[in-house]
Amino acid sequence: MNVLVSKLKEVLFAVLPITVLVLILNFTLTPLDPTLIIRFIIGAILIIIGLAIFLLGVDLGITPIGRSMGKTIAKSNKIWIVVIAGLMLGFFISIAEPDLHILAGQVDLVTGGLISKVAIVIVVSIGIGVLISTGLVRIVYNFPLYKLLIILYLIIFVLALFTSPEFLAISFDASGATTGALTVPFILALALGVSALKKDSKASEKDSFGLVAVASTGAIMSVMIMNIISETDKMTGSLEHAVIDTTSIFGPFIHEILVIAQEIIVALLPILILFLIFQKVSFKMSRGAFRKVLMGLLFTFLGLVLFLVGVNAGFMDVGTTIGHNIASLDNKAYVIIVAFVLGLVTILAEPAVHVLTHQIEDVTSGYVKRKVVMSTLSIGVGLAVLLSIIRILIPELQLWHYLLPGYVIALAMTFFVPKLFVGIAFDSGGVASGPMTATFILAFVQGVAESIEGANVLIDGFGMIALVAMTPIIALQILGLVFKLKSRKEKGGLERNVE
Amino acid sequence: MSSNTEMADYELVCIIVNFGLGSKVMHTAKKHGISGGTVLLGKGTLKNHLLKFLAITDVRKEVVLMVSDKKKVSQALEQLDKKFKFTKPNHGIAFTTSVSHVLGARSCKSDHIKEGRGAENKMYHSITVIIEKGDAEYVIEAATEAGSKGGTIINARGSGIHETSKLFSMEIEPEKEVVMILSEKESTEAIVSSIRKKLKIDEPGNGIIFIQDVNNTYGLYE
Repeated sequence: MNVLVSKLKEVLFAVLPITVLVLILNFTLTPLDPTLIIRFIIGAILIIIGLAIFLLGVDLGITPIGRSMGKTIAKSNKIWIVVIAGLMLGFFISIAEPDLHILAGQVDLVTGGLISKVAIVIVVSIGIGVLISTGLVRIVYNFPLYKLLIILYLIIFVLALFTSPEFLAISFDASGATTGALTVPFILALALGVSALKKDSKASEKDSFGLVAVASTGAIMSVMIMNIISETDKMTGSLEHAVIDTTSIFGPFIHEILVIAQEIIVALLPILILFLIFQKVSFKMSRGAFRKVLMGLLFTFLGLVLFLVGVNAGFMDVGTTIGHNIASLDNKAYVIIVAFVLGLVTILAEPAVHVLTHQIEDVTSGYVKRKVVMSTLSIGVGLAVLLSIIRILIPELQLWHYLLPGYVIALAMTFFVPKLFVGIAFDSGGVASGPMTATFILAFVQGVAESIEGANVLIDGFGMIALVAMTPIIALQILGLVFKLKSRKEKGGLERNVE
Repeated sequence: MSSNTEMADYELVCIIVNFGLGSKVMHTAKKHGISGGTVLLGKGTLKNHLLKFLAITDVRKEVVLMVSDKKKVSQALEQLDKKFKFTKPNHGIAFTTSVSHVLGARSCKSDHIKEGRGAENKMYHSITVIIEKGDAEYVIEAATEAGSKGGTIINARGSGIHETSKLFSMEIEPEKEVVMILSEKESTEAIVSSIRKKLKIDEPGNGIIFIQDVNNTYGLYE
């Protein structure tokens, strides 16, 4: 079986559940406009093809680039090179992230221009650069990940005391936004490149993870610091609500494709340029290998464009409409159940999740299976969406009522969870909040918020991504505990592998 | 190990299947008397011009290694062959090589069965090449030029006495790749010398090649 077929199969199983769910909802609770449904199906097909091509591209292009860079940086054996390279890589990768630009645009809008878009993009990118350096230095000096995470989250906690509630949501969302579909595979590969050099295979296994988590705290901190410095408490305005176009089937696709293609070119450019520089200076790959990487980048581009066009033009309006319709039903139990199931199935189609789970399988040589991680992740995200819907239904519930105990639990668990899973869990927090969540589920949540009286589309909508980034951390650490208990039992047995 | 100096013939079974089947192969093998095995992740290559143009020639594979005595091996392999249909193209490859001693596997204790199976076709060699990470492609290229049909690549890391060193506070080991190639006896010579020439194996630090006799094969077709 060739790679293309196997990728298509994998992706099909990832996208079908959500498609089926929406179709079931269409025929039961909330009949949708036929145009919307046709667009949804076209969107689903685009997502399947796009995701398959994108994942191939990551394997061929982004991952080899990241790994070789990681290796080259570590082999320099000079700390200043590690620090500066980390800063540069982090900064250039995140400054081009389309999600960050969208988020910065929204912040610009709600602060009435007090915090300008350019300023946010630059400050957040610097934050990410600093933290990527910190994360790399951590790996080369063997400083335990859980200690670093506790220090970072303590800083965040202190900053949070001075941050206004609205910005609390935005800052946590920023961490999700910056770790997008392109940056996550790159950062994962970077960490893998550095840690794969280690002699101790257990250490190299667990150090392959955690860099995404460390990097995303950079975004949280920088947004919080900006808020504290500029003292903007008031949030004015609300998200502009796009008028749902139900007359045209192809219009939205054509409209999206140009915008998205441009965004992805800009986002890929820094990776391409960095690669070309490194190739000239230190990689010196053979022509075949070089061509393979370039082909990989082309696939990444094509795949991501198809995928995002599918999500934006086919899924978003459906999400909003479903959310709105179901929340208008008298029985609120429906919306809670649908939210949970929607979270459960949507995460399967998240690009970065596939990249992460494959890497987990590769690094652990199949010991931690993809399916197990996927299922745990999807339960985690299901709960996150459910919790954010409950927050909309009960206006007294504040975001920090979830975040504070959530992160306290997550950090407390790091002390007794196997260290491999600490890295995986915190990484998956950043990974779960990708383009699929940020568009489809966000649209659904905003649809719900719109139909519930007293709910603020802006605040309630923003907090959802923060929750999606948090619950997987707890869910996967629980999985780690299960693994720990299970392997302890097996060790006592007589059965052993023949080496 | 039994104090008996008379040992049954042991064989190492190496089965290469598509990704995801490794655990199933092991499960079936266990049912038919083999005590256990080790699964490695590997990479195979496809020969197809269109795919080569698109640069998607890699296939994820799993390699299962198992050791047992000859009789059990041949029984288990027949069952495995029935179940996984190695004889069909692209369903996997299995081959066995001789092993002189097994330590640590309790169920492999000798039971003094020595069967002369004359029907074995000793037509194949297994060539193992260990090189620096990234060079596997050249090995496969060189091998294919000399008439090989492909190979399986496994990621590994080396520990040559000169090669471990320290970066910052982490001890490092260079990354390696292991390439396994099955070849017909007549072409082994050509393949090996092609690899040897292309990768300059004779210079120190460039790699290692070793060749083993293969006792049985399943799933190879001309």
